[in-house]
Amino acid sequence: MSEVVNKDTVPDEAQKDYVEDGKNKLLVKCKFCGSKILEKKTAKYVAIEKELPLMQQDANRKDGEVQKEMINEYFHVENMYIFENIGFTHPVDNYKYLICADCDAGPVGYYELDSKHSYVALSRIVQS
Amino acid sequence: MAKTYDYLFKLLLIGDSGVGKTSILFRFSEDAFNISFISTIGIDFKIRTIDLDGKKVKLQIWDTAGQERFRTITTAYYRGSMGIMLVYDVTNEKSFENIKNWIRNIEENASADVEKMILGNKCDLDSKRQVSKERGEQLAIEYQIKFVETSAKDSLNVEYAFFTLARDIKAKMEKKQEASNPAPRTGGHQLRANEQQRKPTSWLSRCSLL
Ligand SMILES: Nc1nc2c(ncn2[C@@H]2O[C@H](COP(=O)(O)OP(=O)(O)OP(=O)(O)O)[C@@H](O)[C@H]2O)c(=O)[nH]1
Ligand SMILES: [Mg+2]
Ligand SMILES: [Zn+2]
Repeated sequence: MSEVVNKDTVPDEAQKDYVEDGKNKLLVKCKFCGSKILEKKTAKYVAIEKELPLMQQDANRKDGEVQKEMINEYFHVENMYIFENIGFTHPVDNYKYLICADCDAGPVGYYELDSKHSYVALSRIVQS
Repeated sequence: MAKTYDYLFKLLLIGDSGVGKTSILFRFSEDAFNISFISTIGIDFKIRTIDLDGKKVKLQIWDTAGQERFRTITTAYYRGSMGIMLVYDVTNEKSFENIKNWIRNIEENASADVEKMILGNKCDLDSKRQVSKERGEQLAIEYQIKFVETSAKDSLNVEYAFFTLARDIKAKMEKKQEASNPAPRTGGHQLRANEQQRKPTSWLSRCSLL
């Protein structure tokens, strides 16, 4: 997975109605079952480009192949105990994938073994 | 950063291979779209936040690998665990007999005051049952451990079990705290009254009534 801080496309925070003081203004929930993942204002908004495996892998993909997509907006969670409800997969390389604790949908983000920080992909959750 | 919770409890699921530890942690969702990707990697642990009598409690629930046998599990394995779910399979006599071995292993390797609970899982499979509910209860009485039959498949009593274990750990911690610095107010009785009210009723279910 490559990681690039993308300065050109860092969105203007003031224009994002779901970001306040650089943090998630709203509750972060599972797209599929509504399980509460993060309380309001507990995670930092970051614009980083990072690949994440697709939640729905094509059944006809090659053996052992993992289909991925680039995601460039995440909520950064410094300490795993900040999460309300979340699941961690077994490690793959330097990462554990984050999944919904209630319906197991995922990955909704990743956890970095080295830094012990977690990143939740904005495009894989809902906010309310 | 300020602590956003009152308690953090690490819980462990142990028991023979195949009794359903992973299924208790991992939702039974054969229809799940993502099952192929996430289930091939497997789940390490889950964090769940629950409300226990007005306190915010974080549960960190760990699965354990199937190949591990009680003979090979040592102190390092239990480090930091405050609660242990001992799981057997009601359709597997051997897994029930092994609960005693698991308990001995815990006594030898885990912290002395770790809270325990026995789960008789797969109680939905009544036609294949080898261990009666009464035998489960008897064992629990013998060791003075709480007991409930569960079905990971039907999500039966699973939540109840985690709430019960967490509540017991919390009660033990509060007792300890009170002992080390007695508070002028006696909050203990108040709490117990709350507990009664909050007790979920869903556990009075098919499996438990058998
Ligand atoms: N009918 C029924 N089947 C269950 C239940 N729980 C688990 N199973 C099945 O039992 C088998 C073993 O379940 P696992 O969750 O993998 O067991 P485990 O304890 O994690 O096993 P190891 O990882 O080898 O230690 C699987 O085929 C599950 O589908 C249950 O409550 N009811
Ligand atoms: Mg397992
Ligand atoms: Zn979900």
